[in-house]
Amino acid sequence: MKARIAAVGDIHLGEDVRGKFRERLAGIEERADVLLLAGDLTRHGTVEEGKVVADELRDLPIPVVAVLGNHDYHSDAQDTITALLNDAGVTVLDDASTVLVCHGERLGIVGGKGFGGGFAGKCASEFGEPETKEFVRHTKDIAERWRIALKELQADHRVVLAHYSPVKDTLEGEPKEIYPFLGSYLLAEAVDAEGADLILHGHAHLGTEKGMTPGGIRVRNVALPVLGRAYGVYSLNGH
Amino acid sequence: MAHEAPQYVAARVQRALAEGENTHELGIRVDVRGDQLFLRGKVSTEERRTRLAGVAGEAAPELKVRNEITVVEIRDPGEEESL
Repeated sequence: MKARIAAVGDIHLGEDVRGKFRERLAGIEERADVLLLAGDLTRHGTVEEGKVVADELRDLPIPVVAVLGNHDYHSDAQDTITALLNDAGVTVLDDASTVLVCHGERLGIVGGKGFGGGFAGKCASEFGEPETKEFVRHTKDIAERWRIALKELQADHRVVLAHYSPVKDTLEGEPKEIYPFLGSYLLAEAVDAEGADLILHGHAHLGTEKGMTPGGIRVRNVALPVLGRAYGVYSLNGH
Repeated sequence: MAHEAPQYVAARVQRALAEGENTHELGIRVDVRGDQLFLRGKVSTEERRTRLAGVAGEAAPELKVRNEITVVEIRDPGEEESL
């Protein structure tokens, strides 16, 4: 059997667009087994916006798994937003994993927002001022938590859900100067080390949908402006 | 201020769009050419498009704002991709 994954990121909901996202999800249960949200669910990361997101996702007929994005952290309300989403039945992953059963097979999802730093050969190093070291260490710590979560994951299909990009391929279209703020190769390195079937991310609104890691794992940028459609659907065939 | 380099004006407007309480829009390209300020990018609603032009105009009142931001049309999910 195959697992059908619907995914979208950067939906940036707020009171002004209340109800519109839910409309676009009509009939999703016929197209997909699970909906994954790749962060930036809000615009300003406020509790009010978090409530809109929770209301739009409440009682969807398929499971919803999400990670937060940088916008969702802006008002320091990420914990409250997470709690609101949990109350609405949404699983929010913060460098953790969850396993769902689809058609009798286990779909394992490792998720977290990820972070920046840049890509191999053109990236920040853990060197110099404490602020620089802290920036790079944040990404390194996240990558390590993903690696451990993937190592421990027992599942038939393995998907990584992120906000920041693990590869450059899916940033094509963004100005190269800002790549270090859009993702980090450390994320891809960790996933390549433990293996996965698919990596989904958002964040890069001007990027492209399709790419792959150096290890050959498929990467899809599902940021809403990139997709131009309500969500992408990716089906993973059984091994 | 009369001789502020256009690059600094564009950077100031871009910062206002990214950091402004009512905008927080990071993906807008800002270019200054002569007395014109061009905004390009994609947003989800007409209201957000208009709001961005308003904030840009406040950040650079001496320039004529050319709002070339487009509102994204969201299509149906379409076909699934088999991996």
